[in-house]
Amino acid sequence: MSRVNAASPPPRSVWDSLNPVRLIGELSETRYWMYLLLLPSALLITAVVLYPTVYGMQMSFTEMRLNRPAGNGAFVAFKHYQRMLTDPIFWVSLRNTAVWVTSSIALEFLVGLVAALALNRNLPGTKVLAVLILVPYFLPNVVAGHMWALMLDPRLGVINDVLVRIGWLEAYKAWFADPTTAMGAAIVVEVWHSFPFFTLLIMAGLKGIPSDLYKAADIDGAGPFAQLRLITLPMLKTIIAAAVILRVIGLVNSPDLLLILTSGGPGRSTQVLSLYAFQMAYKDFNFGYAGALSVVMFILLMGFAYIYIRLSKVNQD
Amino acid sequence: MAQTRSGSKLLWDLIAYAVLILLALVCVFPIIWTFLTSIKVEEDIVTRNMIYIPTRFTFDWYVRLWNQSGYPVLVMNSLITTSVTVLICLLTGTIASYSFSRFNFAGRTQLMLGYLVVRMFPAVLMIIPLFMVMRNFGLLDSSVGLAVAYTSFLLPLFVWMLKGFFDAAPKELESAARIDGSTRIGAMFRIVIPIARNGLVATCVFVAIAAWNEYLFALMLTTSQGSRTWPVGLQLMVGEFQLPWGMLAAGGIISIIPVIVLFALVQRVMVAGITAGAVKG
Repeated sequence: MSRVNAASPPPRSVWDSLNPVRLIGELSETRYWMYLLLLPSALLITAVVLYPTVYGMQMSFTEMRLNRPAGNGAFVAFKHYQRMLTDPIFWVSLRNTAVWVTSSIALEFLVGLVAALALNRNLPGTKVLAVLILVPYFLPNVVAGHMWALMLDPRLGVINDVLVRIGWLEAYKAWFADPTTAMGAAIVVEVWHSFPFFTLLIMAGLKGIPSDLYKAADIDGAGPFAQLRLITLPMLKTIIAAAVILRVIGLVNSPDLLLILTSGGPGRSTQVLSLYAFQMAYKDFNFGYAGALSVVMFILLMGFAYIYIRLSKVNQD
Repeated sequence: MAQTRSGSKLLWDLIAYAVLILLALVCVFPIIWTFLTSIKVEEDIVTRNMIYIPTRFTFDWYVRLWNQSGYPVLVMNSLITTSVTVLICLLTGTIASYSFSRFNFAGRTQLMLGYLVVRMFPAVLMIIPLFMVMRNFGLLDSSVGLAVAYTSFLLPLFVWMLKGFFDAAPKELESAARIDGSTRIGAMFRIVIPIARNGLVATCVFVAIAAWNEYLFALMLTTSQGSRTWPVGLQLMVGEFQLPWGMLAAGGIISIIPVIVLFALVQRVMVAGITAGAVKG
């Protein structure tokens, strides 16, 4: 034993073999090191994401009501899913989700694209404007919601005042209290809040397009709109697809903004699926049904992502 | 020909300026308006004739919010939750990100994809079981419990964003250190992390802003003044006491000051990081 130690240059004292720094240093030379580095985060994600998700899916097949403890945990098979089929609120929420997500994202993309194209000209002084344009994306939903609620207020909203002054409105309007305008107003707030995300990603994509392409197009006499349609958009296809998917996930999953602005009202005019599931859990304490609604949402989202990626790949070929 | 082209370039430059100035105004106006509201006196807020530029100023709303509503406690709770979230991400995420950036191993792509896909899981689906699990562990209604819940969506984000910065750090210095006898972990802490320092700070700020702003998890997982964060507290005040607009505006401004300061400080690096991650992802 002592002979082996003598062969290796630094002789080990007892302290050395217990020294944690040295032990970790030696551990880092083993071939499992990369997995060891991943272990803490993987365990954490398993505990706070995977386990709750599986638990939640399982819950959607059971009776789980916090306010009615009797019969909790009983297996009810597809009862909650069957209830959904005949639940009119579910169908309204589904339709509203489609409207909410597609309109918001279409507008966010358009505004984001225009802003990115304008910023990409790198005109003097636009660096400051870029920072100002990105600010809304980093603001909390709660504050963004109340800022707009204040500006759209039926009695003292500045937007009402401006619209009346320039003659677009006869009188102040209660935007969030009218079922015909509530969704539109909420979409305006959402677009204001999140279009910078598209600006950010599209700006990054624009930097990657070789300028030779535009020079060649100039020589061929292609105008700016032809260049946008034939060069810019096709070159941005991947990044636009990624941005759209990330935004769809965000919008479908989080009820925050609508919860703050309208709570789904007036009537059911702004009720979306995530909000319905949230209220089912938070207000009615019907965790089983809330779980089933979330599972359906998740499946729809996966289905959308799959089809969308397939379609954008097919177009690329 | 050349003249018309430079003429049309000038025209498009002008249009670009017009669009950017208009958009910047639209983006900033709500913040300015909220700030103006927070320093107006009550009679100037609730008035028949809109007052655009107030002539009387008051900090009364800020004083009342700070002294009467328990807002300092809410801000303190948010600070604790945010710090713990960043700490957890730093401790577990930095090494994971380094591993993804520097090593090629079986299952790497799948694992990275896994870190991305977990973001697709609906928050509501996770919150309900998290609520029950945390209740069993006594983590319900605690800042630490909430921070752990935040890592569910912020840790994957942290790992992906930081990976972009690690990828950008040159590998040669690391190899040189290894040849000089440094262990892998030694090279990581003495060479790679210092090089990627700015990126690490920007990533932490991004996560901190997200944790500071978060509403839904906090609403479900905190139940008392002991751990309630400011977004939940502010929202509850609106519902319970018909909070006057001036006070609500003051609360909003106080809460977004840290966000705007942090964003302004690191926006350049942070923007680069978000976009780098996205281009590759």
